[in-house]
Amino acid sequence: MEKVKLKLLYSDLGPELDKIEKELEVAVGSNSLLLNEASLHLLQAGGKRIRPVFVLLAGKFGNYNVDVMKQVAVPLELIHMASLVHDDVIDDSEMRRGQATVKAQWNNSVAMYTGDFILARALEYITVVEDPKIHRILAKTMIEVCRGEIIQIEDKFKLDQSLRDYLRRIKRKTALLISSSCELGATVSGTDAQTAARLRRFGYFIGMSFQITDDILDFTSTDEELGKPAGSDFVQGNITLPVLFARRNPEIYSKLKNALGKEMSDSERMEIVRLIRNSPALQEAKALSDQYLDKALEELAHLPKGPANKTMRKIALFIGKRKF
Amino acid sequence: MNDLQIHSKITLMEIDVLQALHQRTLDKYTAGPSIDRSRLFFLLLPFFDGQKWTEEVEDAAKTVAIVYAALHAHDQVNEESPISKSQQLTVLAGDFYSGIYYQMLSNSNNIKLIQMLASGIIGVSEKKASLYEKKTISLAGIENAAEVIETSLLRIFYDYYGFSQYAVIAEPAMEYVYYSRQLDYLHAGLETNILRKLNLALPLPLYSERWLLDKLDSLHLKLTKALDAYPMDFQLKNFMLHQITPHQHLAEQLTREG
Repeated sequence: MEKVKLKLLYSDLGPELDKIEKELEVAVGSNSLLLNEASLHLLQAGGKRIRPVFVLLAGKFGNYNVDVMKQVAVPLELIHMASLVHDDVIDDSEMRRGQATVKAQWNNSVAMYTGDFILARALEYITVVEDPKIHRILAKTMIEVCRGEIIQIEDKFKLDQSLRDYLRRIKRKTALLISSSCELGATVSGTDAQTAARLRRFGYFIGMSFQITDDILDFTSTDEELGKPAGSDFVQGNITLPVLFARRNPEIYSKLKNALGKEMSDSERMEIVRLIRNSPALQEAKALSDQYLDKALEELAHLPKGPANKTMRKIALFIGKRKF
Repeated sequence: MNDLQIHSKITLMEIDVLQALHQRTLDKYTAGPSIDRSRLFFLLLPFFDGQKWTEEVEDAAKTVAIVYAALHAHDQVNEESPISKSQQLTVLAGDFYSGIYYQMLSNSNNIKLIQMLASGIIGVSEKKASLYEKKTISLAGIENAAEVIETSLLRIFYDYYGFSQYAVIAEPAMEYVYYSRQLDYLHAGLETNILRKLNLALPLPLYSERWLLDKLDSLHLKLTKALDAYPMDFQLKNFMLHQITPHQHLAEQLTREG
């Protein structure tokens, strides 16, 4: 439902997004029956396509031509898809977007090769763009996203990590790819450097707010809404912002410390969820998310007015208010 | 060029590649990047043979080694879940190494090679995945998969820089190394995809060892013929035959094993 609402916000981009969708379908075509099936399975599970959306919207601030924009929009979505297939192996996830994951339907090795295949397709696709700047931005982003995920694994079960650690991690894990989508869209459409920098910062702030909201929803949503048990992040050892705020209470700290890394029953998990829900941590996390949102809106305020600006604003506000 | 000089050059390249792929956490928790020295040898073969070897060519050779390391990392991930922390990081290591190769070629504006290697990786991934398809693959299909997986990226490098003449030597040699490893796995009682598919393609699984030994013989013969036909420094040829593909003929092996 929420995904539908989000898609309505950028319904103006419908025909262009349809074009991107068709290109994605062609791009994941393979001579291998297995890879073909696995990639299409992944593609047809859908998604918000938020990265292509930001590429297209950012492009509207320059010389917009959908056939040029797609050269960047398609590979960005493919890179995101490839990382999801590999993430499901890392997280041992059976389901994604209501469908069995590639690793659940086949096995880890097939998921590895599917991800490698899709990533290679992305790079093959983007090489029609000759501007080396585009490739440098994307390569740096890919490396930083990986570093973010590596740090996430390293920081698991570390309750004493700093707020800075958390922010740096989510910047790499989530914000960078959204930020780069905006920057690449702006660059490929030939906007001036100042506009490209503003759009990059907009994407970064939105990405930060988006991830913090995601981390809040892990505690506030129901199992049904999330499609996974509430509090899963904590159970898996991921220390998110609500936990970092809540641990300042010594009593909560000791309960969290005791529970962390142990096999938890459903009632123990819900006890942790209640502990966080009843603390001021969620409001504090929401306040920080809102600060990032305000910064994103501030960037937009300095950009030329028009339909793209308006849609970006709507998306930003939606991200701040989304329920799951 | 003598053996020591060849080894030194390979080691220097190995160090450069390892440095490019250095990442504290990955180095601590994973087996680290797999840099196959025989592959480095063949990437460097045009240099050893006195071809014009610029900094750009050397950097490109390193990126090809990095691509192989990236793909190899993902070969090391267990088929079944859940996986350990070390394995989780191995998944990320492969992705990280891919990012590094892309960054290196982007920084040198070598967009064409990015495209060619990406196309090569697509082919390699397709062949690796084909080994997981339920249908039985013919022996020719298995041979083709092994050839693509082991040699196609090297071939791209050769073709791109005008070194195609070395493919006739490098391809049988790399395949030799590959099958020779499979034979070791077979002797150690380990199962790999290729061995699994080979067992299915042959009338009896017991024939796998014999098939591999025959294959090694024929590849060695092919390599020897290619070396005979190519004017190359004797020491270089010798290095290849004795250090990269030290061969024992099937008849010798069967005699030794009684």
